[in-house]
Amino acid sequence: MFERVAIIGAGLAGVAAAWSAAQRGAQIQLFDGGVGASSLASGAADDRPWEEVARSIEVLQSPAIASALPESLRVFATDFELWRLPAAGEPLTRLATSAGRLRVARGHDRSLLDLAQLPSGSQVLLPRVSRPEWDADSLAAAFGEDAYASSRQLRFEAVDAKILKRVGEDRIAAADLASRHDDAERLGWLAERLREMLARSAGAKAILLGPWLGALRALGPRLSEAVGVPVGEVLGDVGGAAGLRFEAARASLLQTVGVRTIPYRVVGLTCGDEIHLTLENGEEVVTDRVVLAVGGVAAGGVVYDAPEQHAGTDIPERGGPPWRLSVDLAAPMQAHGRVLDVVGSIHGPPLDQVAWPVDADPGFLEAVGVRCDGLAVLGANGGRIVAAGDVVADKPRTVLQAVFSGVRAGAAAAGEPGTLIA
Amino acid sequence: MSESKASPGKRRSRRRPERRIDRASGKTDVDLVVIGGGVNGTGVARDATMRGLRVALLERNDLAFGASGNSSGMIHGGVRYLTYDPEVTETSCRDSGHIQSIAPHLLFRIPFLMPVPTAKKRFFPFIDAYFATYDKYQPLKRGKMHTRLDADELRQLEPGLRGDLYGGISFDEWGIDGARLCTANALDAHDRGAQIFVGRTVERIERNDTGAVIAVRWRDRVTGDGGRITTRAVVNATGAWAPITASLGDLPARRARVRPGKGIHVVFDRRLTNYAVMSQTIDGRTIFIEPWQNVSIIGTTDDDYYGDLDDVTATSEEVRYLVEGIARVFPGVRKGRIIGTYAGVRPTLYEYGKHEDALSRDHEIVDHGEHGADGLYSMIGGKLASFRLFAEEMVDILARRFDLARPCITHTSPLPGGDEQVDAFALATQLEIDAVSGRRLTYRHGSRSLRIAERVKRRSSEARTVCICEPVIEAEVRHVLNEEFARSVADVSRRTRLGLGACGGMRCAARCGAIVAEELGYSPADGMRQALRFLHRQAGTRVCALGPEQARQEALAIASVRAQMGIVGQTSLRADEDNAGLVTDANVDMEPAVASSRPPPLTKASGSG
Repeated sequence: MFERVAIIGAGLAGVAAAWSAAQRGAQIQLFDGGVGASSLASGAADDRPWEEVARSIEVLQSPAIASALPESLRVFATDFELWRLPAAGEPLTRLATSAGRLRVARGHDRSLLDLAQLPSGSQVLLPRVSRPEWDADSLAAAFGEDAYASSRQLRFEAVDAKILKRVGEDRIAAADLASRHDDAERLGWLAERLREMLARSAGAKAILLGPWLGALRALGPRLSEAVGVPVGEVLGDVGGAAGLRFEAARASLLQTVGVRTIPYRVVGLTCGDEIHLTLENGEEVVTDRVVLAVGGVAAGGVVYDAPEQHAGTDIPERGGPPWRLSVDLAAPMQAHGRVLDVVGSIHGPPLDQVAWPVDADPGFLEAVGVRCDGLAVLGANGGRIVAAGDVVADKPRTVLQAVFSGVRAGAAAAGEPGTLIA
Repeated sequence: MSESKASPGKRRSRRRPERRIDRASGKTDVDLVVIGGGVNGTGVARDATMRGLRVALLERNDLAFGASGNSSGMIHGGVRYLTYDPEVTETSCRDSGHIQSIAPHLLFRIPFLMPVPTAKKRFFPFIDAYFATYDKYQPLKRGKMHTRLDADELRQLEPGLRGDLYGGISFDEWGIDGARLCTANALDAHDRGAQIFVGRTVERIERNDTGAVIAVRWRDRVTGDGGRITTRAVVNATGAWAPITASLGDLPARRARVRPGKGIHVVFDRRLTNYAVMSQTIDGRTIFIEPWQNVSIIGTTDDDYYGDLDDVTATSEEVRYLVEGIARVFPGVRKGRIIGTYAGVRPTLYEYGKHEDALSRDHEIVDHGEHGADGLYSMIGGKLASFRLFAEEMVDILARRFDLARPCITHTSPLPGGDEQVDAFALATQLEIDAVSGRRLTYRHGSRSLRIAERVKRRSSEARTVCICEPVIEAEVRHVLNEEFARSVADVSRRTRLGLGACGGMRCAARCGAIVAEELGYSPADGMRQALRFLHRQAGTRVCALGPEQARQEALAIASVRAQMGIVGQTSLRADEDNAGLVTDANVDMEPAVASSRPPPLTKASGSG
């Protein structure tokens, strides 16, 4: 049993680790270095890349049925309350995206509309709203052409409706509009407008909206109840309302388990008999074990540190990988199953692989991370540093994978026997 | 802006000119085929049409796809050429003045600063004298005279300047959007009766037994359709592609030889300076950082290039070479955020054994009649500032050939949109868009922004912003698809700068793809594929400039695109298929409905005419 566990990073993996370690009685310090990928999430909860799932459904002609989730993950999700995850045997979630696709998902933020829940042959209404992210007519046309829509005879129709109330709401950020709906009275007004809209289109079975339903909590279910048919959001861009709802759900969960966040970035980590952390404000913190949940490149935990950045007018220093952790910690970086020890050529990393993933293969920006042996960061003394989430090379790249690794890392850090694969 | 109202409304009548030349009409489909949709090709198409020829222009990729759309965006007077090509300086300045009067909406002043370090103090009088000589040409382009500045004045004007500065010189140039310039020329040619075909590559220039050109065989790179246009003359205005084009007419490539010089530019997310600042690279070449439209640009390199002309990209070494060159006088540039790069290949006049920078920027016309190919001409060299003059010289030759009486009037007739000034703020108020959107709209389209406003009047939802960074409204996207020969997301981007801002198109490409699909009758899935292709290509231009912050942004962008669109297979993401819309491996297996979807309305009459 370890008394003190420091969790670096308060994204999904860090929160899951905090939850899991707290249940085992550890004394937890959770360091939040600011907005990362989780706070910018778009609302889908996947357990593997969704294109892979879609392809296997298509190629294997397997039914789109949810498989069972690991027990610990399921329990966490129940406590976290952010998502609706179909139980094993239920149909997989289908989400409409703001780019005009109908995509499969393992689960979803509760404000999003799950098309799989609608009866076949349903008509779905999209109100015409003058906002940059919302072109009801072209979205309806795009959704209608999707193979999933035809397989279930779903029909999408753009209809006139006035659901913006105040001047300027056609231009404010989507997340701001979502936050206005947190007001119960405003939500009631919206429900009324949607009911009127529904009355004009007899027989419609659901209403699809932009990412506008709540910043503090998912208002989709409450709105659906008030309107009488399922009402929900499309999957929006990063940095929208779904990320804000993650932050609200995180605050509530951490309060429940009694963990307080420390709003400082950890900048250094040294291992001795105890582990010393240096914070950005200069403070030192001593702990027994560390969960490293700083995220991948998207979250800012893994930093791309091109040699030319330090070069000035001189020739760049060679010999190190162009990747490092945002925490000063000597940890081996790895990608595509290969340890990155030195820069491959005098021209630096293979830049064509750094950026956009070609084909289904992830590029370096997605795959690079800390090399782990089981959960422990290789080379970190005695397995006292465990890694979780996207900072792990090649492994978690989806929301539920990140959570699952966090739950396990939290348990391991709190000294649960058997969790640490030495 | 400009007081010039050179042309009365009458001349702008968009009726097709009456058939007037008996010798030139008759049996052939057209009198002239112009190959190449750069500034020279579109310039020739415009001039020749105005003088009464029946013209068809074939462009393999898109208007302004090559050097014209990837230049420094200036119609500068060529101060650099003063020492060895003073006539180029003079013609550049004179024509820069002409362009100002025919397209005042497209020009913006770029004041330049040339800092002189104390170490070069003794050269200051010479520099001063040099610019005094340049001053003689400034009136030709309504430029301001140079001024001498001491170090304090220099720093006051541009506080970011560093180093041991003795003083400096200010002078004056004009900026322009090269893609808009090409589009305006093509539009005018089209309005006067020329046929403009974008995305059509020439497969063969056919010649008869005597060697004279008789026809051009083409293939549409989007639909795969092919055809033949009979003609009496062909102008090869394909820039760096010129030798390849000449060889399609069975001429040895060396008959249309160019010295291809690759030039790259680095783009920042905002205007970092108020003045363009000159600096020297480590090898002593002169480069600059310029405020251009709503970004800052560093340019440029000049290196011999022998790679694929359809896919020219910058490398990280080139980016660093330029950034370090500017950092000597303006170190703040190292902290700036690079949002992209672009690259093009100059078709410089061929000479062996000369340094790239020392090559002449002059132009010449090759009459391949001398090589047995009567009626085939190649335009070699040239620069943006003197394109109109080059086109005039070309069409003068054609005028003699076809015995045309009409003189060249391209320097007095306004380009589309350049006939009258539109009040951007009134327009913004009327359309209920923000003032910046209104101003950008009038910049790009001049008086034709009123046509875009008409669209919004008919459908108010088209006032919605599609691209937030630039910004671009929906009506403009639809306008360029209907009126300006755009056929893909990338084409729309070239004409409107959609997706070229800080977000790299993450927020607008999918939306633009949907509009492209809707307007041109593609399926929504094809629109999405186009959007992904555009995003992939743009990512390729950023990768060589990635720093820590950009890398994070890039990773987020990938996550965003993955969540909403998914990443499709490699086949449809090939960067060189920039313009290909429907014929990809990925959709061979698609429904017949796709294969038979109607071809894009290439020849649709623009406007109501």
